[in-house]
Amino acid sequence: MSATSQAYLNTRVTAMSTRLLEREQVQALAQLSLPELAERFQLESVLDDQLSKQAKSRAVEQTLIRVLLAELAVLIRPMTAPERGLLLAWGRKFALFNLKTLIRGKLYNLDQVEIREHLYDLPDGIGLSDQELLRAENVLELLRILEQGPHRLIARQAREVYEQRREPFALEAAIDQRYYAELVRQAMQFQGENVQSLRQLLGAILDRIDLLWLLRFRFSYRLSPSETYYQLVPSPKLLHRDRLLDLANMETFEQVLGALPSPLDTLLAGSTSLIDVQRRIGAHQHAEARQILSSGRSAVARALAYLVLRESDLMVLFSLIQGRLLALPQELIEIGVELAEPNCPIGGFASAA
Amino acid sequence: MLRPLPMKLVRLLVMTDDLPQASLTLAETESFEPDPREPEAQMLSGLPGRDYHEFYQQARSRLEKIAKLVPVAEAPDIDRIRVVYHEELAATNALLRERWEQASRFEEGFRHIDEEARFVRDQEAALANFANLKIDLGTLRNKTRFLDFYVGIVPRENVVRLEGAVKLADHLLFNYLQRGDSAHVVIVGPRGEKESQLQSVLSSASFQSLPIPQGLDDASPAQKHDEFARRREELERERARLHAELAAWERKNHELLLDARRTLLLAEPFVTLDPSIRSIGPLAVLSGWVPARQVHDLKQRLHESLILPFELDARDPLAAERPLVPSVPIKNRFLEPFAILVKQYGIPQYGEVDPTPLFAITFLFMFGSMFGDVGQGAVITALAWTLRAKLGRIYLFGVLAGLSSVLFGFLYGSIFGYEEILPALWKSPIHHPILMLEIALGYGVLFLVTACLLAIYNRVVIRNFSGALFGHHGIINLVFYLALVWGGLNLGLRGDFGTAPMLLVGVALGALAWFGWRHLDAPVGEKVLVVFIETLETIIGYVSNTLSFLRVAAFSLNHAALSIAVLTLAGMMGTMGHVITVILGNVFVLVLEGGIVMIQVMRLEYYEGFSRYFSGDGHEFAPLRLRFSKPAAVVDAAPASVSPTEAANGLV
Repeated sequence: MSATSQAYLNTRVTAMSTRLLEREQVQALAQLSLPELAERFQLESVLDDQLSKQAKSRAVEQTLIRVLLAELAVLIRPMTAPERGLLLAWGRKFALFNLKTLIRGKLYNLDQVEIREHLYDLPDGIGLSDQELLRAENVLELLRILEQGPHRLIARQAREVYEQRREPFALEAAIDQRYYAELVRQAMQFQGENVQSLRQLLGAILDRIDLLWLLRFRFSYRLSPSETYYQLVPSPKLLHRDRLLDLANMETFEQVLGALPSPLDTLLAGSTSLIDVQRRIGAHQHAEARQILSSGRSAVARALAYLVLRESDLMVLFSLIQGRLLALPQELIEIGVELAEPNCPIGGFASAA
Repeated sequence: MLRPLPMKLVRLLVMTDDLPQASLTLAETESFEPDPREPEAQMLSGLPGRDYHEFYQQARSRLEKIAKLVPVAEAPDIDRIRVVYHEELAATNALLRERWEQASRFEEGFRHIDEEARFVRDQEAALANFANLKIDLGTLRNKTRFLDFYVGIVPRENVVRLEGAVKLADHLLFNYLQRGDSAHVVIVGPRGEKESQLQSVLSSASFQSLPIPQGLDDASPAQKHDEFARRREELERERARLHAELAAWERKNHELLLDARRTLLLAEPFVTLDPSIRSIGPLAVLSGWVPARQVHDLKQRLHESLILPFELDARDPLAAERPLVPSVPIKNRFLEPFAILVKQYGIPQYGEVDPTPLFAITFLFMFGSMFGDVGQGAVITALAWTLRAKLGRIYLFGVLAGLSSVLFGFLYGSIFGYEEILPALWKSPIHHPILMLEIALGYGVLFLVTACLLAIYNRVVIRNFSGALFGHHGIINLVFYLALVWGGLNLGLRGDFGTAPMLLVGVALGALAWFGWRHLDAPVGEKVLVVFIETLETIIGYVSNTLSFLRVAAFSLNHAALSIAVLTLAGMMGTMGHVITVILGNVFVLVLEGGIVMIQVMRLEYYEGFSRYFSGDGHEFAPLRLRFSKPAAVVDAAPASVSPTEAANGLV
């Protein structure tokens, strides 16, 4: 990227980062009613009274994703092909949500209209050719169609897994695994300052994902160490290959937390449940992204950090609106957006393991 | 000829049951372009054709998938045009589902054979490798009491992860060969409880077990190769058998698939109309654009075909709707290639003058005058005619450009660069350069004045009167330009600009400045600056645009000068050298100068002409139509006044 494009992108990211929500702002938003939230974020049209609660919720989620992807489109404009490829690879997670919806729909023989209602409307470059995929008669045909497009690798992997196992879990795990592996592969192609910052950012993301998957697969789904390890993606930062091998081989939840490298060990010390771990490590990833955004020297890493944070903010907003739509108690909404800690006793893994 | 064909916005109110028939009739007349805008009446919200649409899309998708395996004619003959109702479409969809299930088995069969063939190739590769290993392969074939062996293939990208995963089950992975996307591996470890963990990981990693050939130790490699060759032959026989089965299946289902195609083609008009249809209860409304003179015929056809009552009303487009109204393109054999070039710039908006005829005349005039040569023009014509099959519709463009060049060649007395062979019917440019420049300048003035008049006309038609008066290339601009030309002429002839033209220039510029000032919302300083620059730009723009046409004369001189250069060079050679130089020189002039002249003419047309008066942001009339040839009986039965060509020829 030329110095001019770098400067332009940095300025763009800085200007856009003023849209990110501070904790105080989230606290203030949590006190607003649904009409106030709708007015504040220009969502009146999607919260049309004639729609059902479910349809409203879908419409809000769709609108927020569209906002995020529109910002992604703005950010990639001055980028070079590899930088653009990285950000688009990150944005493809939404296409994979659609893919999973399509797969589940085909597996359970759902009606096309029903499946379509649950698909995100995505822009070109990120989306799948939904119409063609929708008309596939079964999962195998769907994956074979997908193998002819840009999601070739993910689809091939998914098809091979499906042909062998014929179960949705293995299929979806393969899709997720491939998505993160591809993201890391693209990020590691960069050089100099870019690779340092991207390693830090993707490391934080992968550390979080790996730890949560590891705990879930090992102690909730009771998968073997081998199978658990196979589903993970080595992180370019803390939870690298050898460490994952060690962690996957541990027998209890506490042993895993105890064997974590610094600073995850202190951060997660005393955690008793997956929800607790999720909250703490989520905050850690958030802090890392904030740090890259505020003082990172790589424009592409800052752009990606912004998108990660922005996605998280939009999900907070979605949770608030969802909470209001479902008329949930204020306390529960605040727990949902992590303004309050859950005070209900949640069974830890210590007993489960 | 320049005026567009008047269009009407037609609203058709029919009973929902009659919708398929109404769609078919509208498609048959080829005079109705659906208008997909939301209806004005809020209560019209239902989408009556939704199920129909779904069935159609699903059935069509299935038929297209089948058509990838066996040939299914795109547009088979249809004996009788009839309405395809919901039930028939649903039945066709169900039938195609069944047929696709059958056809997909063949597809899977072919894939299976491909996979098997790949596996045989992998086995051969493995054999070549095993042959070099100095170990007892017999032990790898069978599990031992203490050791567990797996020999097989995994996708290359899974090897590293699998290596880690098997390590956790106390096994080791040895990657001994990589071929394409696959890696050949041997996994070995102790037998025991962790062995079962491995099975699940291996299936997640798409591990494909590779049987170690029996008798490897006692059979020669040549024998094993023969075995693999036999297996390959078997697979080829299997493939041929599957092809034969597929052909038999196709013969059995040929008529059925054609019937399905016919049903879908007949259902297509209703599906195409689907986004434009709104309903309330048993009533459905659809609206669209129809050439004004075909509204009556359309109504007549609907009367003849619909059983239930209907209502059709038509109105002129509103001023605000003008950008939505389609423009009917000019249909004329000679203008068609020029229309293609106009389309590169844009489609005339409804009401706007279609510049194609003017473009054709001015293009041929400028090309001929800049590249006037009987011989070279004849070559262009002959080439375009010879290559007409490859060039398609554009060949006529080459023929006409060449003929124009021939005509001007006769006027200039030039043939393949020789100026002495033919007597000039008019004058040779190289001998009258000043006259050529004066004519080019005069032509430029005429061209720009015409462009301004068209710009004014286009604005008046859409009732944009202030734009016609003060806008770019409006009346005030034209007055300024004509006064400037008048003053320029005075200056050239008498050495004095003249008071009257000076006054007119001043008043016109003052009026433009005043208009600009009033429409600017900015601080005074900025207003002064903007108005000053805009006024200056008007003066410089018109002067430079006029001078731009000097290139028409310049290229006619250039052509003659290049020819002189070629002939001078040829004159320095012997007889053979002379002939070769003249031929090569003419080829050079034809290719290089011909190309440059073409570009220069297009530049004058687009920049000096179109940018003044042609917005090009309209869209072409695309009526609903049937995608198959209508049977003769039906065409005969159709009223003579509603011929499709007439619909498209709609220029008054």
